[in-house]
Amino acid sequence: MPQLQSTLGDFSVLPISVPGVPAYPKSTVHHLYVRKNTPKIPTPDDDRSLFLTNVPVDSTHLHIRSLFTSLVGAGRFESVTFEDERKPSSQALADLLPAQAVRLATHAKKRKRADDEDAEHAREEELARLPPTWNRPLRKAGGTAVVVLADEKSVERVLKSVAKANKTGKYPVWGEGLPAQSTILGAKWLKAHIRLNFPDTDLVEAAVNQFFTVYNNREKEAAELAKRLRNEPDEDGFVTVTSGGGRTAPAKRAQAEEARRKMLEKAEKKREELSNFYRFQLRERKKEEEAELVKRFEEDRRRVDAMREKRGKFRPES
Amino acid sequence: MTSSPAKRRKTDHSDGAVLSDAISAAVRQPTTFVLETAELLAESRFDYERSLEGVDELLRRLKTSIEAIETHEAIPINDAAKKLKKAHGVIVPFPEPGPPKDSNYKLAFSKPAAFNVVGSYVSRTMVKVQEDHAVDMIVVIPKEVLQEKDYLNLRYFYKRAYYAAKFAAALQIEFDGVADLTFESLNDNPLLPTVSLKPRKGDYRIRVIPCAPDGYFPKQKLGATAGLIRSGADDDKKAHAPTPFYNSTLKADGSYVPYLRVLKQAEKSCPAFKDACMLGRIWLRQRGFGGAMSRGGFGHFEWSVLMALLLQTGGRKETAALSPSLNPSQLFKATIQYLAATDFLKKPFILGSKEEGLEAIRESGPVIYDAPRQLNLAYKMSSSSGFLLQQFAKWTHALLNDKSVDQFAPTFITKVNQPALMFDLNASLDMPEDYAEATGSREKLWTFGNKVHNVLKRALGDRAKLVSVHTAGLPMWSPRDSQRLASDSTVSIGILFDPSNMSRTVDHGPPAEEKKEAEKFRRFWGEKSELRRFKDGSILETLIWTGSTPAELCEEIVRYILQLHLKIPTYSESLTFYTRGFASLVGKPTDAAAFAGARAAFETFEKDIRGLEDLPLHVRQLAPIAPELRNATIEPPAPGSPKHAPKPMDVVIFFEASGKWPDNLAAIQRAKIAFLLRIGTLLSEAKTNITTHLGLEDAQLETQNLAYLDVVYSNGVAFRLRIHSDLEEVLLDRRTKDKTLDQHLRTESATLLANFRRLYNHLPLHNQMIRTYTTRFPALSPTIRLLKRWFDSHKLSSHFPTDLIELLALHIFLAPHPWPQPSSPAVGFLRVLLFLAQWDWRSEPLVIDTSSYSNDASDETLSKVDASSAATRLEAWRNLDPAMNRVVLLVCTPGDPSGTSHTTLDGHPSPSKVVAARMTALARSATRVVREKGTAIGLPDAGRQLLFVPALSDFDILLHLNKKALKATSRVYEHDDPNDVEPHHSSGKFKNLDTRTGEMPLPLATHPARLLLNQLATTYAGPLVFFQGSEDDATIGAIWNPLVSRRSFRVNLLGNYKPVALAEGRKRKVESESESSGEEEDDLVEVDREAILAEVARIGGELVERIVVKGQ
Repeated sequence: MPQLQSTLGDFSVLPISVPGVPAYPKSTVHHLYVRKNTPKIPTPDDDRSLFLTNVPVDSTHLHIRSLFTSLVGAGRFESVTFEDERKPSSQALADLLPAQAVRLATHAKKRKRADDEDAEHAREEELARLPPTWNRPLRKAGGTAVVVLADEKSVERVLKSVAKANKTGKYPVWGEGLPAQSTILGAKWLKAHIRLNFPDTDLVEAAVNQFFTVYNNREKEAAELAKRLRNEPDEDGFVTVTSGGGRTAPAKRAQAEEARRKMLEKAEKKREELSNFYRFQLRERKKEEEAELVKRFEEDRRRVDAMREKRGKFRPES
Repeated sequence: MTSSPAKRRKTDHSDGAVLSDAISAAVRQPTTFVLETAELLAESRFDYERSLEGVDELLRRLKTSIEAIETHEAIPINDAAKKLKKAHGVIVPFPEPGPPKDSNYKLAFSKPAAFNVVGSYVSRTMVKVQEDHAVDMIVVIPKEVLQEKDYLNLRYFYKRAYYAAKFAAALQIEFDGVADLTFESLNDNPLLPTVSLKPRKGDYRIRVIPCAPDGYFPKQKLGATAGLIRSGADDDKKAHAPTPFYNSTLKADGSYVPYLRVLKQAEKSCPAFKDACMLGRIWLRQRGFGGAMSRGGFGHFEWSVLMALLLQTGGRKETAALSPSLNPSQLFKATIQYLAATDFLKKPFILGSKEEGLEAIRESGPVIYDAPRQLNLAYKMSSSSGFLLQQFAKWTHALLNDKSVDQFAPTFITKVNQPALMFDLNASLDMPEDYAEATGSREKLWTFGNKVHNVLKRALGDRAKLVSVHTAGLPMWSPRDSQRLASDSTVSIGILFDPSNMSRTVDHGPPAEEKKEAEKFRRFWGEKSELRRFKDGSILETLIWTGSTPAELCEEIVRYILQLHLKIPTYSESLTFYTRGFASLVGKPTDAAAFAGARAAFETFEKDIRGLEDLPLHVRQLAPIAPELRNATIEPPAPGSPKHAPKPMDVVIFFEASGKWPDNLAAIQRAKIAFLLRIGTLLSEAKTNITTHLGLEDAQLETQNLAYLDVVYSNGVAFRLRIHSDLEEVLLDRRTKDKTLDQHLRTESATLLANFRRLYNHLPLHNQMIRTYTTRFPALSPTIRLLKRWFDSHKLSSHFPTDLIELLALHIFLAPHPWPQPSSPAVGFLRVLLFLAQWDWRSEPLVIDTSSYSNDASDETLSKVDASSAATRLEAWRNLDPAMNRVVLLVCTPGDPSGTSHTTLDGHPSPSKVVAARMTALARSATRVVREKGTAIGLPDAGRQLLFVPALSDFDILLHLNKKALKATSRVYEHDDPNDVEPHHSSGKFKNLDTRTGEMPLPLATHPARLLLNQLATTYAGPLVFFQGSEDDATIGAIWNPLVSRRSFRVNLLGNYKPVALAEGRKRKVESESESSGEEEDDLVEVDREAILAEVARIGGELVERIVVKGQ
């Protein structure tokens, strides 16, 4: 059946036919939206990748691979990255890097971190990661993914075959030809989750240890960096003055707060001793009290007015 | 403080009029109440011009037509009645017993001596909400047709009835087609038939009341002890039983005009008198009181006369008790105080100086004696209604002295006499048909009710704070009907338990030595009473009861004693109890032991933890935060077994303050894991009966709490331990306030901080608070459980933090006004529903105020919750977030004055606005049902079916889960391979089978059904809202969010969308060949419902049995 609408904005609409399951026997059509990938920050693979949105929530790498295989045949699909996977790992990295180091690193604007250093950090962090509790995470409903294909030509072929599918009404089938275990959700999936909630303690211990190794190293690095920076003028010729090189321990902070509180208390006490001492104070206090009284009265009146506006507040229930 | 005149002058001229208003109002009492009552009066004022239009004209016509009635000489009574029937078809409403057939008593008719309009029509004190508006006109029977001896043997009342019949005859001709004419017993007093005229236009009645001339009958002969109904011919005065009711009726019938004068004088001397009368009328009405005997016999008339008399007398040394310069609300309060403080049931309450002796005043019922007019104002009251009135006055008085709560609404707005909301035990009893004992001309039913009251009150003793017996009123009847229709002969019984005595199973009577007392006790209790010897050597008369709950005990006693004294068969159908409906919904009496067991297990756990020696930090506190450990779960806590995964109870552990925690949030979380691992190892080394499992949270961020430790005892009790780190809070707080950070990071930190505070600060406090109050109020725990059951059955629970539901229940115990604290779960539950129905959470915060109960020092550390600051805070939230995306309900507790820790989870309001509105709607319809059904809601079927059956048709989609599959899913063993879904891993599957027999499954904090729901809810947060009751509820409801059904296309829309144009385009193609319209339509998409449902079915797999879509 020919379609009137095969595009939506700059997306091509790829309808996927979804066979019914016992709980919902109706077979349905899912709409996937495809376009050439044009990210704001270009990467070398952009020319041969596609951007998908509205991916089904139960998508896996296998699902997407089989979908593209059915569109353009085998051998052209390279990889898929889902939105939740694409989340910059640098966020977690930044969290992991001791806070001071991050701040100081941004100070040294020109400092370029070599790519391999980044990769090294990522590897370290991967080891410190705790085991996942879901063996098959659900995708966000309406989420996106980026598919990398073999070459530029494949991209064109995919788009062409999408248009063809629209025209002929022969839609690719979701999850067709996949091995049974890769489609499993439901009871086994939840069971696995319950089991994965309690990982092997050795694994966890190793991850925690690895974390602290990295953490301690980085903290040391940061301290050294801070020390170095103390004597180095930045591009405008200013030298950043930092305190003592060490961190301000929270204990010290607590002490400072304590001291502040004591000081305030002292001042309060002194003030109290001198209140009711002069006549003008008495007079002023009285004035304040009166003002307070008037304020309260007005407030009450306002509240009653507000109650009146709401119906039924003054009508006894029957 | 003293101030010199000079100073005063200075302040004076700076003041405005507002100040003097404010001062005069605030000095004497809280202003709000005064302003509110003023508003209430303004709102309630009755529009006489409009509603009673033409009444004066009607009254004039009435007078003329009565005056025109032909007079006649005395003729025998029976002849007169016959003649009237023959001429006009009117049957003379003689009071029972009617005049004997052979009576030679004679009746005459001559023109009435006077006409007078009395009552609230003349004093203009009617209010809008009154049930019926009546204008009373008295018609004085002339002296010449009466004889002095007429006070004897109902003779006066025969004449009075004849007068009423004559009026009816005349009026039915005069007002034919204009008004409907009936007879009614004035104030349900069978002695006083009255003609009632209801104009076809207008919503009011005119009552024509024949009455005796002022002071015609000698009052000294009408004392309470005089017996005026004398049967037979003997004249021995002493032989006649006293007829106080008859005597008072006779006196009252001649006192209309004197009381009119009393009221007029009060109105003149005290400007606020009328308004105070109206307040009194509203107060009485909300409590079901009225002048009629079936409504307690204390109405507006009695109230205003009492107040008028108190303005003259009643104080010390015969001075006036009330000052005429008081304002209406003060007059009202003072009168309430008078009623609360005076025990007019035990001792006659005498106003003014009496001349006669006390014996002439004393009666068995309540006495409020007006000495100058020698009348007992309370003569229509029964002792039951006397007690009730006094209780109401006491409760209101207590309320008016409590400045921390809203005084106004409970006093005047709430409908108080709803038996289902008021009494712990309601029952109804049909009067046996052969019951014939009627004393002193009162109705048979009234006498019966009074007797029931007296018997029950004595039998229940201090178990009951209040025993109320209520009988129906007398019906009206048409003048042409030969006497009255049979009235409803049911007696409603309401009993209010005393929590401290209600569960007693053994009653001790007097010791055997006190012969007289013992004999009395034995006579009252019959065979039930037996002599028993007790440990302390005393030998007492004793009663043993077998019931296990207060309601059962009470029912047992009532059934027994009614059978003994009133010959009501024990299991008679005429006696119905309305309590069973709710009791069965919240478990068994043994549940208390289960809760105590859980608590004991926790104490063992605490000891085990504190006993660990090699912990790097010293344990400061171990705080439970699980509902099982505060007596608040629907099902009593049950330990795990090989068949049931143990359900861990949450506990948080606090260590001494330490500088060793790393200065980084993520590092703190990892350090906690290391810590937990250490505790786990130490525990399982120290105790052989403990296994520990380190579990991972479903955390999205590294800075969140990442892990917990499940500690499982071999007996199946499990705890889930999380560690508190004081540095974490400091760091989060600092990050939240750090202006140099990104906004989204700060919001994230704020959410984490709120989660942290909820988990480690508020929940431990909450746990402690609820536990304390469940021991203080025995009915609190079952009320909470019943309420949770309600939230469950309406599939609201998945949206409400369990602690919030507990707070809702606690609230009505802390602020029960206008009632006392509930002492049974059913009452507590229904009152929470009432509260929820009326709670306007959009503009009112809920303040849990424990100030009146916290007398122990530990509570002083908690800041007192201030209602006005809570209101300010809510206002600020509503201004900041008018769409209520962040805060919906505001519930301020002493532990959390900010009010959001119990109503937001993870930065999202829970419940959300939609769900909160649904809660209100459900509570409203529930209260409506309760209102309609009355006490019958307590019947087993009614209570359950009407209140606890969900309206599944409200949901767009229903997911029916497979219970068997869920159960299987809930059992996961440590030896299970998490990846055994992969075929090449499943080779070891059968080997595992052997090892796992008899093994305990892994702890399960969240039931699989709830796990699935949570996954679905996060995945489809945009388009769908899911509803589930208890965690294992196998029917999940869902509704489509109407706000996100159709929108223009962009990347990253939440939910599954299909192009609109596509669908419409198809349709258009079919209909015609015309081209599609404008381009901009092309970018519209709508929620692809079918695709979403297909996804849901795939996610649920075999767990979802079927998906039912509304309308399909």
